[in-house]
Formats: sequence, C-alpha cells, structure tokens
Amino acid sequence: MSILVNKETRILIQGITGRSGVPVTSELLDYGVKVVSGVTPGKGGQEVDTVPVFNSVREAIEEVGPIDVSMVYVPPLMARDAAMEAIEALAASRGSASGQAEVPLVHIFVEKVPVFDVAQILARAKEKNVQVLGPASVGAISPGEGKIGSIGGANPDKVFSKGPVGVISKSGGMCSELAMLITESGFGQSTVVGIGGDLLVGITFGDLLKEFESDTSTKAVVAFGEVGGSAEVEVAKLIREGEFTKPFIIYLAGKFAEKLPKDTSLGHAGAIVGLEATMEEKTKILKDSGAIVAKHFEDIPRLIKQKI
Amino acid sequence: MKLYEFEGHKILAKAGIASPFFVTCANSEEVKEAKKRLKFPIVAKVQVLSGKRGKGGGVKIFKSEKKLVEFCNEMLGNDFEDEKVIYINLAQWVRIEEEYYASITYDTCSKQPFLLFSKKGGIDIEEVEKKDPEELIKYEINPLEGLKERNLKKIIGKDETLVDFLMRLWDAFWRYDCRLVEVNPIAKVQSGYVAIDAKVILDGNGLVRQKSLDVIPKGAAGAIPTKREIDARKIDEEDYRGSAGSTFIEFDGSPRGEAGDIAILASGGGASLMIMDSVVAAGGRCANYTEYSGNPPREKVEKLTKITLDKKGLNGCLVAGAVANFTDIFETLSGFVEGLKQVRPKPNYPIVIRRGGPRQKEAYKMLTKFAKKEGFDIHLFGPETPISVACKKMVELSDGYKNMRSHI
Repeated sequence: MSILVNKETRILIQGITGRSGVPVTSELLDYGVKVVSGVTPGKGGQEVDTVPVFNSVREAIEEVGPIDVSMVYVPPLMARDAAMEAIEALAASRGSASGQAEVPLVHIFVEKVPVFDVAQILARAKEKNVQVLGPASVGAISPGEGKIGSIGGANPDKVFSKGPVGVISKSGGMCSELAMLITESGFGQSTVVGIGGDLLVGITFGDLLKEFESDTSTKAVVAFGEVGGSAEVEVAKLIREGEFTKPFIIYLAGKFAEKLPKDTSLGHAGAIVGLEATMEEKTKILKDSGAIVAKHFEDIPRLIKQKI
Repeated sequence: MKLYEFEGHKILAKAGIASPFFVTCANSEEVKEAKKRLKFPIVAKVQVLSGKRGKGGGVKIFKSEKKLVEFCNEMLGNDFEDEKVIYINLAQWVRIEEEYYASITYDTCSKQPFLLFSKKGGIDIEEVEKKDPEELIKYEINPLEGLKERNLKKIIGKDETLVDFLMRLWDAFWRYDCRLVEVNPIAKVQSGYVAIDAKVILDGNGLVRQKSLDVIPKGAAGAIPTKREIDARKIDEEDYRGSAGSTFIEFDGSPRGEAGDIAILASGGGASLMIMDSVVAAGGRCANYTEYSGNPPREKVEKLTKITLDKKGLNGCLVAGAVANFTDIFETLSGFVEGLKQVRPKPNYPIVIRRGGPRQKEAYKMLTKFAKKEGFDIHLFGPETPISVACKKMVELSDGYKNMRSHI
C-alpha cells in the first residue's frame, strides 16, 4: 500500500511538449508509470516518447481512456486555465478510471502561479471534489510502485527505497535529501510527497497525515517544516486530537530568519517571517502535542530507530 | 511586496477609492511646493514600511508652516524605526465623523480570501480582536464568484456608500494581484467614505502581469533595496524559467542583519533555510541570503553568481543545496563557473560546493579541472556529505583564510 500513487495510476501530462514536459514524460515511463496521454493545445496528433498528444484533456480522455491524475507542466500564467480544464474533465469522467483514485488528482508542478489564480483553482477543485497537489509541487513517489511529477528525476532509485517511513515537505529538494538520509540509514519510504511552498496549496501536511494514518505500510512520518505558515500547527492539532497516532518526526528550518523584519519573504512564497506562528511557538506547539522535533537534521535516522 | 502608503492609495484610487488630497515629498523643496496646494491643518506622514507610524510619532497634524517644515527636515533622510525615510506624505486634514476598519487577505487554512470589517476603526485591529471580538466581522469570499453586494448588505447593513467602498476594495484586491489590502481607518466624511491610510502587499507571483502598476522596487527584507538586491530581482523578471535571485537579502550591517563575509548561493526554498541555519550554527556570518531553483538556465545562475560575489570583503563562498530532483547540476554549476570567471578581483577565498542530483558527477569533474587550471580554491562535497557538515567546513575554511590573510 501507499498513498496518492500506486502501480495502477493513470496519468495525463498537460504541457507535455514543453521544456519540462518532455523530460518528465520519459522519466515517468522509465519508472514504469502509466502515462497514457498528453495535452498541448494545437499540437494534437504528435507523440512525445510514444505518448499520444491531444488538443484538450476532454479529447484525450475520450480517445485513450480515463485518468486518475493530470500533471500541469505549463508556464505560470497559463496554469489557472490548464488546471481548471483538468478539474472539469476529471470531474466529468469520475469513477471511470481504472486506478484507486476515488478522488482524482490534479498535480500542479508549475512555480510562480499568482495566488489569486491558485485560490480560484482550489475553490473549483473543492466544488468538484478533485484533489490538488501543489502548485510548485515536485510531486509524489511511492518507491517501487509509481510516481507523480518530477520527484527523483531520472534516477529515483539512487535516493528513494521502499519501506515504512512516510515523508512530507514543502520543498522538493528536501524530499530527496530526507529520503536519501532515511535510505542510507537502512529504512525506506512508503510515500514521499512535496506539497509546494506557496502561500496557498491544495493538499496539506494535515491531509497527508490522515492518509498515512490509514495506510498500513506507513509506520512513522518524517517532515521538513519551515518558518511561516500554519502547516505545523495544523499537524500538532491532528496529533493532539488523536487523528494521527503514528510517530511523527519533524525538523524545522529558518531559525536565522527570525531576526529579519516581519513580513520578509524567503525562497518559498509561503515562508514569510512572522506569518501566523513564530519558530519558537511552532516548536512548542509541536512538542506539546507529542511530535518529535529533531534538533539536528542528521538526528532523524536515530529518532526513527527509536520509534519503529 | 509591501508598498508605501502613497503607492497603496494609488492602487486603491484605480478602483475608485478616494483619499484626502495628498502630495508626496522627497525633499524640502518639494515640501515647499506641496504647501501651496494644501490648506492647514496638514497631516504629515512619514512613508516607511513598518507599521505603528502613529504610535512612533511618524504621523503629525500641523497648523503652521514653521513646525511642518521643521518636522519634514528632521524626518527626511533620517531613520524612523530603523528605516530611512525617503518620502513624506502631506495630506489634507479632513473632519472625520466615524472611523471603520476593513481589510482583505488570504486565509491559508480555508484557502480563500476573506474580508475583515469592523466599525471600530482607527485603532490597532489586534486590540479590537482582543477586547471587542464581537465587533469584528470576518466574511469569506468565494474567489470564483467574488464579493457580492447583497451578501455584504446582510453583514454590514444597508449603507450603500459603505457597501460601494468595500466592493471597490475587493476590486482592487483581485484586479491588481494583492496579497493584502487594508484601510484603517476608513473615514466617514461629509462627502462619503475615504481611505485615510492604505496598506497594500502585492503578490510577488502576480507582478509579471501588473507591470502598469509601476511600483518602486523594494528590498526583500527592507524598504530600501541595495543595488545587489535590485539587480538580483531583475534576473527572474527577464526569464520565467526556474528562479534565481527573486529573493536576495543582503546582510550589510543595516537593520536587516549583521554584516557577513560568507557569500551564499543556495538552491531550493527549503534547503536554503537549512543552509543559512547551519552556517549560523557553525559560527559563520552570511553576507547574503539567496537561492536558485526549479532548473534555471545556466545564464541565470551566471548572473546571480556575478551579483553575489561582486562584493568586497568576502572570505568564502558556499554553493549548496539538497539532492536535486530535476535541476541539472552540470548546467547550473556551469553557470556558476561562468559567473565566477567574471568576478574582479579574482576570488582567492575558499569556495565550498555541496550538491547532488542530475549530472552532479559530470559537474564535479568539470569543476575539478576548472579549479586546477584557473587556480581557484574549490572544495567539492557530494550528497554523501550532510549539508550541515559542508556548511561547517565552509566556516572552518573561511576562518583559516582570514587567519592566513591577517598574517601576511
């Protein structure tokens, strides 16, 4: 078992003929993922690495069958329309997909999507009961099963291995870094998810914890937390209320920024100094809830060992 | 991007929200000119990005010229709450009948914009929240439908002019890609409602489609960006592929942070935070914060390298990131090399590189050759070395370099 993605997941790529669309297509195919179709308006009829390209998502579904996941790989200002199109088409073809996805998923890889567009996408997705991963999300991987997005690049096996640890981070790079640390210490991962670092994102840490709770292959979850936002506070609440009962280990980054003026934005659009809770508050809320806060990043394997 | 009050008013004005007539002045000449267009009493307001201007004595009402000129001369060019005052707004004083509060921003939990309204305006809204929470109305806005007049009337009453004001506030919020619009107070005056103050934060991701707004460049951490901060931000404005330098914070001893001597070229929004923390924990001082990520083309890394290293007094350079998923390490480090070659004088301080990911080995071969041929002190660490260890090594090497130089 795993969450979000497995062997049966059927994927469509929007922007498949683009600069990031082409490489991700072959990476996914190499990993054995079922990339069934792609979309680039005006380029219908072409092929990208054996995958047929269509002019619209609806047309692609009609021609080669239903999908569980649509990955959005288009330029930032086109992301809204692409995601909206995917949400409508996924909702219209609901239930017909082969895979596990009772709730179909739109994965938005694109970075720098204006926040108002994101709010609109998320509102439509909620209306239509479609999940959104991202924006600015590297994707998700269930090692040995399948993956969504660019996580692990062309060589996921170098870093990711199958095992009992769920991994969550806003940052794509830290997904890999954490997975590598865990793999090297002899553990593997059930599913690794990068949720994206924007101010508003679809799937949250909290949503994933609920999924990991019921996933039998996950024995513990490791997270990379950051300055700014409320993700960690949400997690602490779930643990406190008994909705997540497995060991939860988190490392918090961005202490240096506490000295900067309030409202300073860092690399992630959602990493804003003073937004919602300070680092100290976050650490305290997490510790009080029973979460394990790793003082040093390299302590994580030892903490996992103590718990599973 | 946080805006000055007068810039905020300009954006609100585009949506038809009036404010008392004002003139923005940058020097005493302009103050003199401005007076001719205003009648006493005049409200003088220093333009700084930190809040609490009123409490700190940055907003004053003047009935005579002498005191006004004195105040402006004293403020302009000096620091107010750790921020240099470049502009002062001189606004026409108006008789206020009532003061309200309104803001629109995003709720990161419900993932929607919301309107916050209170008939207790003119004071700190946090105070109202603490003392009179029932006086605060929070109303969530479906971003697909927008704010609806009939819903507004249900929550704030039938005051058509006030409803119109709030509808315009919503208009300004979404039309100009704002992350926050806040008016405190909204003043009821004889002619209707006016915005006495305007706090606006623009969404950095929306700026690319809001070029007509013509706002003054700001630093990431302060109102007045350094030249490096401005130059770094331009890199992304010219090319949307990947990002490089959008967030550049220079630590130069100003309020944004103690001056540092280790240049940082980090990769990734998450890893960059950990890298900064690790350098600080090892006793190092960073000259800047910046990051590139999302597989930027090599030209962008080249530009960022040049801007970051074009600084006197550096004693080290750290190029670090997590194991990349899809960022081409050979391409990005080639960009670093291209940039490094152009830095004058030629850097002879230690350079520590810690990366992993696509084409990392190829990149390290190229770097080894390059360092040998061109005589750079480059130390390479692969993904097997933890980020914190590489950061510690950077600080040690940098300390060694400083010691050596002090003995020459």
